[in-house]
Amino acid sequence: MDFHYSAEDERFRQDARGWITANLPPGWGRDVHEPEDEHARYMGRLAWEKKLYHGGWAGLAWPREYGGQGATLVQQAILAEELARAGAPEGLNIIGRNLTAPTLMHHGTEAQRRRFLPKILSCEEVWCQGFSEPNAGSDLAALRTTAIRDGDHFVVNGQKTWTSFAQYAQWCFMLVRTDPAAPRHKGISFLLVDMRTPGITVRPLRQISGESEFNETFLDNVRVPAENLVGALNGGWAIAMTTLTYERGPEDALARQIRFSRDLDRLLDVARTQRRHGAPAIDDPVLRQKLAGAVIEVEIMRLNCLRSFSRLLQGKPLGPEASFQKLYWSHMAQRLYETALETLGATAPLAAGDPATPAGGLFQTGFLQSRAFTIYSGTSEIQRNIIAERVLGMPK
Amino acid sequence: MNFDFSAEQIMVQDSVRSYLADAWSMARLRRLIEDDGDGFDAALWDGLAALGLPAILVPEALGGLGLGFVDLALVLEECGRALVPGPLVETMIATDAIVRFGTEAQRLALLPGIAAGRLRVVPAIVESGDAPLATPLAGGWSLSGHRMLVPWAAQADKLLVAVRFAADAAAGLVIVDPQQAGVSLRAETLFDPTARAFDVSFDRVVFGAAEVLGGGPSAAAVERIGDAGAVAAAAQMCGIAARMLDLAVAYACQRVQFGRPIGAFQAIKHRCADMLVQLESGRTAAYFATWALASAAPEAVRAVSMAKAYCGDASRFICNETIQIHGGVGFAWELDLHLYLRRAKTLEYSYGDATAHRERLLGAVLAGREAA
Ligand SMILES: Cc1cc2nc3c(=O)[nH]c(=O)nc-3n(C[C@H](O)[C@H](O)[C@H](O)COP(=O)(O)OP(=O)(O)OC[C@H]3O[C@@H](n4cnc5c(N)ncnc54)[C@H](O)[C@@H]3O)c2cc1C
Repeated sequence: MDFHYSAEDERFRQDARGWITANLPPGWGRDVHEPEDEHARYMGRLAWEKKLYHGGWAGLAWPREYGGQGATLVQQAILAEELARAGAPEGLNIIGRNLTAPTLMHHGTEAQRRRFLPKILSCEEVWCQGFSEPNAGSDLAALRTTAIRDGDHFVVNGQKTWTSFAQYAQWCFMLVRTDPAAPRHKGISFLLVDMRTPGITVRPLRQISGESEFNETFLDNVRVPAENLVGALNGGWAIAMTTLTYERGPEDALARQIRFSRDLDRLLDVARTQRRHGAPAIDDPVLRQKLAGAVIEVEIMRLNCLRSFSRLLQGKPLGPEASFQKLYWSHMAQRLYETALETLGATAPLAAGDPATPAGGLFQTGFLQSRAFTIYSGTSEIQRNIIAERVLGMPK
Repeated sequence: MNFDFSAEQIMVQDSVRSYLADAWSMARLRRLIEDDGDGFDAALWDGLAALGLPAILVPEALGGLGLGFVDLALVLEECGRALVPGPLVETMIATDAIVRFGTEAQRLALLPGIAAGRLRVVPAIVESGDAPLATPLAGGWSLSGHRMLVPWAAQADKLLVAVRFAADAAAGLVIVDPQQAGVSLRAETLFDPTARAFDVSFDRVVFGAAEVLGGGPSAAAVERIGDAGAVAAAAQMCGIAARMLDLAVAYACQRVQFGRPIGAFQAIKHRCADMLVQLESGRTAAYFATWALASAAPEAVRAVSMAKAYCGDASRFICNETIQIHGGVGFAWELDLHLYLRRAKTLEYSYGDATAHRERLLGAVLAGREAA
């Protein structure tokens, strides 16, 4: 066990820090923030992601042949820390990078990897995830969207829902039913669908945060080339499990930790300027306990990720342990934003847009967004089932 | 950057675990409850000393293994898991302070004996009303006051007493022989009946610079022994919590009600999943803290307080829920659950509780931001 960084890693950190400072707008995080308008915000994130790519900071730990930098997971963690320190924006192509890419590295053909992976890194192609349907959420294997073979194409019909970023995505990986007669898990295939294909309609849905990140996606006789099938026909379930493992795993978590640690930092500032009982909020012993709890939990989230990385570096698979990361951070983040609102105290009811709200409404939005954390990527109840049954060996 | 234990560290853990499985049992531990002698299990002490546990932190030149706190992490977890009674862990905590702060003479006098399993040294640092005060005398000091909850003081050869020095208002650790004139011990009645602790009074106990750890007052030594104790407590709580979770899962898989094992009910299995999340996150924090202590990292204060606070809360949750999952039998004296609960609860309030450590951590974080 050793948390010292090698000289090479320290150099990497300095380089990353220097590059980030030089490339974020001056005053970032203090006077300059992400735009309030949602579309502008996402376009800003995409632009930032492309900048990172052109700077050579994307796909650090990916193999070089797919556009990666051949760096280490440790360096990836260092970059995440430095991005957090600078309060840098998140990206828009998170699904492509964290889900599509590892899934294709495990299950894709060489041709599919060469076709798709470099454009994920360069963000020329943004991805979305077409798993959930109106009647298939936690019970994902109940999905009904069909794909029927027609010559060298599949013809897809059905509806996906809660499809995040579908309105910005060029591609979608989708679970479809290819054998309705087979047992539920054995008739599902994993398809890569070009979102520009005729027959696809995307309708944004408004979320409780007021934003419209997710969508309904309707599929009406959508023709998908057969070469876009990943893995074996009717072998999609096992591939989906790989995708979900990454969705719940440490790389995804570490990228999110950036945001929580940035928001926590901001919160500590706000706690000094907010007043309660005629004194700075930071002097309130009850609030101090909660803020300290938040500091501890956000730091443990980072360390949990590093601990998983060490497992991965030793070649041990993550498997169901990934659910432990997701369950930890989702509830942690919900507590963090509750504490943030408590810190705002009497001003908590002021929201983004009101000039008097501290931190520009960041924490109110974060609070609302955090309600989704325990729902997407598998609800907490599903994560607990997985941990209990597959890690602890408890009965179904 | 590496968050793993080495093959050797895991081998040591395995050897401690298998030794304890063969040579130690809850039945043996229970003897301590009725024991009206000193409660000291000499055979267990000798066995663990033969495995080299007290030698881990002692430098090789002084007969030890020359290892650090990280090498202790998994050993401490095993000690917690098997409810190994003191004063082994207490001696390890004191050893760390002696290695780091002792003068050459003090190291020579104490460490070889500790490594060989001949000497037992325990910290006497718990805050109480009438803290020991050293007033200057010609050629030394006179010590009066008392310390409560001094673990296994009657079985210890030396105490490391946290003392205030009146003249310069400094703090320091003083090496005191519990048998020495002016020292008196009162056995305390404890929440954990398998532990022993004493209220130790000092009445004009005379000592010189040779008895002050490091030769003079050192607030750093007092802070360090508290930090080492806090991390040792956190690691032991992880061990106890891991054992409790094992017991909860095993019972839930075997106990049938309504025609099903109770572990098939989500109210039970989901709780077990939450227990695992907290256990593993606690381990993350405790392991990191052992590294921070071992390498005297700048973030050590934060790492120690993070581990003690988080593991305390996690251990509380896991122990309480394990009893709940056992139903009525969980409340029965004859089951061992309450022995784990009592030890864990004692550790929760030793070396600073979660509330105190959260406050300390936030203070350090805010001071760090100020400085930045
Ligand atoms: C912001 C957001 C973004 C999303 N993005 C995407 C996306 O990009 N792509 C995509 O495919 N999906 C996406 N989802 C969908 C998400 O994966 C599903 O909402 C989730 O899997 C739950 O399914 P459901 O909504 O149908 O709820 P249901 O499955 O109907 O669950 C309702 C409640 O019942 C509980 N429940 C269900 N089954 C069990 C059980 N066996 N035991 C105990 N409790 C149970 C659940 O935990 C939940 O509390 C997104 C969701 C949100 C909120």
